[in-house]
Amino acid sequence: MSEWLNTVLSRAQSVDDWLSPKREQSLALLRDAKWPNRKTEAWKYTPLRAVENAQFAAPADVEAAVTAIAGLESIDLVFINGRFAAEQSTANLPQGLHITQLADVSEADKTWALQAFAAIKPSRHLFGLVNDALATEGVIIDVAASAKITAPVRIVNQLSENAEAHNRVLVRVAQQASLTVVEQTIGDAYSFNTAFAEYDIADDASLEHYRFALQTDKAMSVGGSHFQLANRSQLNSTLVGFGSSLSRLDVDVTHGGEHAFAKLNAIYLLDGEELFDLHSTIEHAQPHGTTEENVRGIVGDSATAVFNGRIHIHRDAQKTLAELNNRNLLMSNKAVINTKPELEIYADDVRCAHGATIAEIDKKALYYMQSRGVDRAQAQVMLNFGFINELVDQMPNAALAEWLRPQLRQRFAKMEVN
Amino acid sequence: MLSIKNLHASVEEKQILKGLNLEVKPGEVHAIMGPNGAGKSTLGYVLSGREGYSVQDGSASLQGADLLDMDIEERAKAGLFLAFQYPVEIPGVSNLEFLKAAVDAQREARGEEALSSAEFLKMAREASKQVNLPIEFLKRGVNEGFSGGEKKRNEILQMLLLQPKLCILDESDSGLDIDALQVVAKGVNSLRSPDRGFIVVTHYQRLLDYIKPDFVHVLSDGKIVKSGDASLALELEEQGYAWLNKQPEDDAEGLQV
Ligand SMILES: Nc1ncnc2c1ncn2[C@@H]1O[C@H](COP(=O)(O)OP(=O)(O)OP(=O)(O)O)[C@@H](O)[C@H]1O
Ligand SMILES: [Mg+2]
Repeated sequence: MSEWLNTVLSRAQSVDDWLSPKREQSLALLRDAKWPNRKTEAWKYTPLRAVENAQFAAPADVEAAVTAIAGLESIDLVFINGRFAAEQSTANLPQGLHITQLADVSEADKTWALQAFAAIKPSRHLFGLVNDALATEGVIIDVAASAKITAPVRIVNQLSENAEAHNRVLVRVAQQASLTVVEQTIGDAYSFNTAFAEYDIADDASLEHYRFALQTDKAMSVGGSHFQLANRSQLNSTLVGFGSSLSRLDVDVTHGGEHAFAKLNAIYLLDGEELFDLHSTIEHAQPHGTTEENVRGIVGDSATAVFNGRIHIHRDAQKTLAELNNRNLLMSNKAVINTKPELEIYADDVRCAHGATIAEIDKKALYYMQSRGVDRAQAQVMLNFGFINELVDQMPNAALAEWLRPQLRQRFAKMEVN
Repeated sequence: MLSIKNLHASVEEKQILKGLNLEVKPGEVHAIMGPNGAGKSTLGYVLSGREGYSVQDGSASLQGADLLDMDIEERAKAGLFLAFQYPVEIPGVSNLEFLKAAVDAQREARGEEALSSAEFLKMAREASKQVNLPIEFLKRGVNEGFSGGEKKRNEILQMLLLQPKLCILDESDSGLDIDALQVVAKGVNSLRSPDRGFIVVTHYQRLLDYIKPDFVHVLSDGKIVKSGDASLALELEEQGYAWLNKQPEDDAEGLQV
């Protein structure tokens, strides 16, 4: 038995709040859970030894200041080592947007939130259950029907040395409303966090979503963003991951209504001995849904990328259009990519494409660039970066793209030399 | 300045150029016309060093330097420029970044100092105005989502920025609306100078109304089979290429320059 998990179980004893009925269910599952090993499908390529018997002493009280993103007029919700930092967060909210801390929810919030909690993705892995049991900090975001919230809501989790934090976000975008959410985790020191967000997107509502998992080095992080779509809901999500000693994300979308549309772009850029593990499950439960999922990664040195992309088209989900594409660029022969497409189709009238490939340099593009005098090596570097930058270009929010691009470029430039 | 002698070249074992001769002197504009599949684009590809095109015989030199012996980028640095019939889309690589890299390379090759970002931007802005391409286009990926005509204008823009010695324009006029045709022609004419040469590949006489050629050549089955002055283009426009098949072999040979 994992010592860390033992402490989780005992810590969970002292959690008692309005979510307890839900937490109890997860706790019951946790008590029976075995620590994952190589034979556990969900963790096959992602070793958990570093957490298994870890002890995270409480971090020294830190006065970490979270920096703003240039050009982004965001509504900030800042968590330092798991604790809400009101002084760094935005207090004034636009009309139609209701945000409250998990600990302060009103009776009205409780009704829907209790239902949504742990329901958007019913089957949860070990760390999802841990988060269910321990996440007392977090927010509830509720957008009123038809409210178009233009300012992005940015949720920042900042972690410092030795921190352990579990955060939860519950979002409801009501009918015809629209919202942008940015989930950002910061801090490369030795720490561990689980951060899960659940999104309930109602009929005709739309969500623009970003998740920046840019922790590297010794930081360990397991998290996920789960989306439930209804009739004609729209989701546009961009996920960016740097690897670390443990970095795992689960991104899941359920088409629970007809004519829903989901565009998911994911980028990972890994170096050194980093690991990044992305699991994605798309459930098409209703007809006429569309999913476009593009996952692109550059893996250098002896880093490991894991991608498990599952598309499940239920029997009633006729006229589904689903495309999942995972392309990888390997920068060294020690780099490892484990990619596993899983396709289950039970409806007969669907269009579905699913592929995982090792990306190859576009020879025509290379020739074109060289024919303008650009050296082959430089052209190759530009094309390689272009391979992921293409997805950055597709980010609807220009300020975020401008903020992200140099970070990717810098990281990529460092990879080139080794 | 460009001297092509007896050039034989093939692609995927298929012989395309079969003894092509062409001499372009500084300041001259040569138009090349000819039926589809004759090898006009192939000539540009071979001269620019495209992979998959191999030369069996003959030579090509630019200002005395052996082109065929150089890497693709060296040829460009030596002053060769090919405006493509089908420009390539490169999503993810911004036009500006690409153009800057190309201009930097060109300036380095000429022993000139690198431009600052501001200087370069100013230049790019002027060039894009000249070809009537909104500057916002330059922030997009290279040719990404450009219409056919916009791609062609982007080729001319690159030519304006790079100031090559020898420009080959491969059907830069096809797919252009009437205004864009003028834009392209003006771009070319603005570069015309006593020390720069042009090869203009086209199917239509109309472009040559705007860009007055000194010579017009007919390329057929991998060779130049007829050469003349600007009036030859008008003749071809009327007659088409049917005469190519009727003319006896030796007669056609006799017409070569
Ligand atoms: N990769 C290839 N493999 C085989 N044949 C090829 C290849 N590329 C070109 N060709 C052939 O070479 C010949 C010459 O092509 P080229 O593109 O040079 O013609 P062109 O004179 O430019 O014609 P157009 O006026 O239609 O542009 C054509 O018959 C073409 O089919
Ligand atoms: Mg051609």
